Amino acid sequence: MQETPASPWFHVQTQAGAATLRLAGDWRLAQLAEIETALSGLALPPGTTVDGSALTRIDSAAAQVLLRALQQAGCGLLGEACAWAGFDAAHARIVDQVRRHVAASAPPPRPPPRPALAQLGRQALALGSLLLGHLNFLGATAAACGELLLRPRQLRPRELTVQLEQTGLNAIPVVSLVTLLIGVVITYLLGLQAEKYGANIFVVDGVGIGATREFAPIIVAIIVAGRSGAAFTAQLGSMRLTEEIDAIRTLGLSAMQVLVLPRVLALMLTLPLLVFVGDVASLVGAMLVAGPMLGITPAAFLARLREALDISHVLVGLAKAPVFALAIAVIGTRMGMTVGRDTGAVGAATTSTVVQSIVAVILLDAGFALLMQALEW
Amino acid sequence: MVTAAAAAPAPVIDVQGIVTRFGATTVHDGVSFRVGRGTLVGLIGSSGTGKSVLLREMIGLHRPTAGRVTLLGTDIWQASAAELDAVRRRFGMMFQDGALFSSLTVAQNVAVPLREHTRLAPATVDALVALRLAQAGLPAEAAARRPSELSGGMRKRAAIARAIALEPELLFLDEPTSGLDPITARGFDRLVRALVDDLGITVLMATHDLDTLLTVVDRVIVLSRGRVLADGSVREVTAVDDEWVRRYFSVRTMTQGDLGDGS
Repeated sequence: MQETPASPWFHVQTQAGAATLRLAGDWRLAQLAEIETALSGLALPPGTTVDGSALTRIDSAAAQVLLRALQQAGCGLLGEACAWAGFDAAHARIVDQVRRHVAASAPPPRPPPRPALAQLGRQALALGSLLLGHLNFLGATAAACGELLLRPRQLRPRELTVQLEQTGLNAIPVVSLVTLLIGVVITYLLGLQAEKYGANIFVVDGVGIGATREFAPIIVAIIVAGRSGAAFTAQLGSMRLTEEIDAIRTLGLSAMQVLVLPRVLALMLTLPLLVFVGDVASLVGAMLVAGPMLGITPAAFLARLREALDISHVLVGLAKAPVFALAIAVIGTRMGMTVGRDTGAVGAATTSTVVQSIVAVILLDAGFALLMQALEW
Repeated sequence: MVTAAAAAPAPVIDVQGIVTRFGATTVHDGVSFRVGRGTLVGLIGSSGTGKSVLLREMIGLHRPTAGRVTLLGTDIWQASAAELDAVRRRFGMMFQDGALFSSLTVAQNVAVPLREHTRLAPATVDALVALRLAQAGLPAEAAARRPSELSGGMRKRAAIARAIALEPELLFLDEPTSGLDPITARGFDRLVRALVDDLGITVLMATHDLDTLLTVVDRVIVLSRGRVLADGSVREVTAVDDEWVRRYFSVRTMTQGDLGDGS
C-alpha cells in the first residue's frame, strides 16, 4: 500500500495496483484557490476510483474544479473514465448537477484584439456618422421651426419660459463673474506692455475691441455649453431611459415641438443677451484695473471707449451668439434624444456633448474670423 | 421540548421584532419569523406592506427602527464592518430589475464577485462564470452581451447568475418573476427550485406571483398591517380567516372556476 503526501482535501492510495483518490473535508469556494494549487499536477492511472466518503461538504464551484482536475488527470471530460464511490446523496446531486452543465459551459470567447489601423478607420466612420446625424437633426429642427411658423399655436410658452429662465436668467451671475475677471486679466496684460511705451490710453482700444468682438462671445458660449448643453443631454437622456420620450410620441405629440424646439429657441434668444452681459462685465472689469494701474479715470476710459470702439465690433460679437447657441442646442438635444438605453450611456453622452459643443464653438468662431476679414467688417 | 429546541440546527434567517417607521408612517410593527436551511420561502403582502423594505433591512442596506436580523448566525445590525463583509459573501441578492452593471458584459458581471472575493486563477474564474451562466439557464452566447442587449427574462437569469457566483448559502430574490411571460416565469420557478434542491441553498423571495406560490414554494409568510399575518405551507395559509388572504387566493380559484365552466 502506497500513499502520496497528504493534503487536507485529498490523497491518492494505491493498493494492489488499483488507485483510489480519497476526498476529504470541506470542498468550498472559500478554499478553492488552495484546493486548485494542491490538485495541480495530479496524475491518476486509468480506472482510478474517486471516493467521496470522507467529504464533509462540496459546493458546485469545487465540484467543477474537481471535474476539471480529473479531466486533466485522464478521467475523461465528465470523470466517466473513473469509478465514483462513497458519495453522500446530497454531494452526488451537486456533482451531477455540475456534470450536466460542464458540456454546455464552454468558457466565453474573448473578443479578438483590433488592429490599430482598423480601430482608426472605425473611429473615423463613427465621427462621420455623428456629424451626418447632427446635420440631419439640424434639418429636422429647421423643419419643426417651419411647422411652428405655419401653426404658431404649437408653440409651448410654458416650456419656453422655463428654458429661458434656466439657460438665461440663472446663468447671469456666473457669466458676469467670469467675463469680469477676463476683462481684468486682459487689461492687466495689455497694460504691462503699453506702459513701456507710454501708450496707456490705447489699452482701452485693445480691451474694448478684443472683449466685445472675441472674448466675451467665446467665453460665454463655452460657459453655456458646459451649463445648458450638458443639462439638455442629461435631461433628455434620462427621459429617454424612463421611456418618457416614447410616451410623448405615443400621446400624439411631437418630441421636436415639446422638447427640442423650446430648448433651441430659448438658447438662441438668451445667448446674445448673455454675451451682452459679458461685454458690459468685461469692460467694467477693465475699467476697475485701468484706474489704479494705468491712471485712466473711469471718465477718461468711457470717453476713449466711445471714440475707439466702433459699434460694428459689438454687433459682430453679438451676431455670432445665436449661431453658437444653435450649435450647442442642436448637439445637446440630439445627444440626449439618441442616448443608449443604459445608465452609463447618459454620462458618456453628456461628456461628449460638452466636448463637441466647445469644439464646435471654436471652429465656428474661426469661420467667423475668416468671413469677417473677407467682408472687411 | 427544551432539549429538542437545543438540538435543532440554528436558523439561517432569524428576524425578531422588526419595526420600521418612515416619519409618521409605520410600515412594520413587530415582524418576526425564522427560516431553516434548504427551504424556499415566499414573502407576500399587498403593495405597500414593505416587502422590499424588509428585504433591504435583512441584507443590511436599510436600518430598521427597531428589531434584530440574524443571518447565518451574524446579527446584521450589530456586526462590525469586517463581520458584515464576511457574511455578505455567504448570501446573494437579486434586485427587482437585475441591477446588472450596464458597462460590463454579462460574463464580466458574474465575474465581479469572483474576482473581488477569491484568489482564483483567471482561467478558473472563466470556467466558473460559464458554470454559473449554465446553472442560471443562460445560453453561452449571452455571455459576451451587455445587459441592455438582453430580454427581460435573460436579464433576470444573468442577475441570478451573479447572485449565486460565490455559491451563497442563502439567496434573497425581490419579485423574480415580475414582468416575465408565464412560460419564462415558470422556467424561472423551476430554476429557483433546482437551486434549493440540488445546491441546498435557502431562498427567501418577495413575490406577487400566485403560480410561483402554488407550485414551488415550501412556505409562505404573509405580511399585513405591519405584522406577520400567516406563516406556513400554502394550504395552511389559504385556510387563514382573513379578508385579504381570502381575496388574494380567490383570484386564482375564480379564474380556474371560470375556465372550468367555459369548457
